[in-house]
Amino acid sequence: MEGSGTIQRGRYTHDVLLHENDGELIHATKAFVTEGLEAGGNVLVHSSEDRVELFKGVLGSHPRLTYGLDQDLYLTPSSTLFAYQRQLAEEPSTTDLWVTGTVPLGEDPADHAKWARYESLVNEVLSPYPFHALCTYDTATLPESTIAAAKATHPCISTGVERSMSTEYQDPAGFLTDALAEVPAPPDVRPTASMNLQRLEHLAYARSLVRRTAVASSAVARPAIDNFVAAVNEVLVNALLHGGAPARLVFWVEPAQLVCRVTDNGRGTCDPVAGYRYPEPDGPRGLWVARQLCENIFVSNVPDRGCTVLLFCT
Amino acid sequence: MLVHDNERQRRTGVAAWVRRGLEVDAKIFYIEPMNERPERSLTRLLDEYGVEADASLASGQLQVFEASTEVYSPAWQDKVSQEALAAGHPTVRWSGEAGTAWSVMPPATHVDVEWATDRLCEEQPISILCQYEASLPQATLQTACAMHGSGLRETQLWTLLIPEGIALAGSVDASNQRTLRSALVAATAVTEPESSFVVDLRDLEFLDVAGARAFLTGTTAHRIRRGTVCLRSPRRGVESMLRLLRVDVADGFDVQGE
Repeated sequence: MEGSGTIQRGRYTHDVLLHENDGELIHATKAFVTEGLEAGGNVLVHSSEDRVELFKGVLGSHPRLTYGLDQDLYLTPSSTLFAYQRQLAEEPSTTDLWVTGTVPLGEDPADHAKWARYESLVNEVLSPYPFHALCTYDTATLPESTIAAAKATHPCISTGVERSMSTEYQDPAGFLTDALAEVPAPPDVRPTASMNLQRLEHLAYARSLVRRTAVASSAVARPAIDNFVAAVNEVLVNALLHGGAPARLVFWVEPAQLVCRVTDNGRGTCDPVAGYRYPEPDGPRGLWVARQLCENIFVSNVPDRGCTVLLFCT
Repeated sequence: MLVHDNERQRRTGVAAWVRRGLEVDAKIFYIEPMNERPERSLTRLLDEYGVEADASLASGQLQVFEASTEVYSPAWQDKVSQEALAAGHPTVRWSGEAGTAWSVMPPATHVDVEWATDRLCEEQPISILCQYEASLPQATLQTACAMHGSGLRETQLWTLLIPEGIALAGSVDASNQRTLRSALVAATAVTEPESSFVVDLRDLEFLDVAGARAFLTGTTAHRIRRGTVCLRSPRRGVESMLRLLRVDVADGFDVQGE
């Protein structure tokens, strides 16, 4: 399998380091950073403030070595993913980018799944680029499910010196159907509003319906609502143009969350990772833009029915 | 210029336009096809929308003409408009469907008439509401946009020509991006090479991916002639869409805040 063995310059690698203590972490990080610098790459080490200070003391400084704080670089999974993609696609460099650190999983294990989905989608979004990542997970403190997800989302397991294939790795489309991904379901309550769209001329009313209802009945910030409305609009356009009318819009408003489900009347199969890759110059961009405006969008296929897209905004 | 997707939109727009004209004591001339079906007539339309027009029809404030080459003569339209203004009406309004004109003259001749009547609007307190179907061919809509110097209004998009370019208000999405593209093609067709064309976005409330693409495709010819396009004062959501699609860094484009 490609990816095991030595890290090849100009290619993509995404490894996980499973460490039990700081000694193993520092040893592997130092090996990865050294290899990246010796290969002529730009190296980024990211972590929390106290960890970054620890790494600075061990790794020192180098013109191609930078340190970043998670609070600046890893605000949300979606913004982080597309920030890396835009950097690599829009500012192409002949120099490989080497990144190491731990994604900010947070204190609540319930939040770990959203970063697990991020780790999986990195393989879809960044694989076309000269990008190398060593993601570090502390097996002494993290739950078993989080470690299992890390093994399922990284093609290779690394010690910092040696690499081997992860036998538990799943491709992103497969991982999104795994229980480890914890893809959320729509609320199990009566929807707040719904409508059928027959034509593109109905988009304006649909946007108005979603915006008015969200502003009136939720505490979600207005800029987030506006972004959510724009994302729903793009999904509806896709449903009408590429699926088939009518497009069914179902909408739930909760105090801290907006959820929208769009189902078209098409017969095609739906790709759960559609809209993640950087678009071709004249290619479709609606879903790609929607994914940047809304943190969580899930595409699925219902047998004998059309494509279903779930959008979540918090 | 009223661009409509369907008959209901057309009727709603015309009813609002007549109602407003009657409120401001305007003289209103409306041109219908010969032998118009009763259900499409102006009187039926006004009755349906509750616009009280019997007295205005009786007094002559509202006049309905059957289409003929004479009523589309700019000289005749100028003459009866002057008579109405002399009679004390503060403004004069004309309206009819483009298809009505095409029933008595070739579209190319209608283009000449539209250019002439647009000049009337510039010089006199005269306004003309030309009704066009949004499903017309792109080239026809572009020509129509070019002919209507005072701008166009569609269900959710209004445009207004300004000295430096064009101002937009409302929303642009996949349903009406063709109209925006046509308006931009028409407005930039008369610009000087290497000139700057301003699109004032302060009143544009919503823009989607298809709409943002219209900025690119609608100004291609202008930018090929080494002209630049300044997208001025976009709102937060509109600016966000432009930047996500990298319109702001496309050749010949510049996005300026307030």
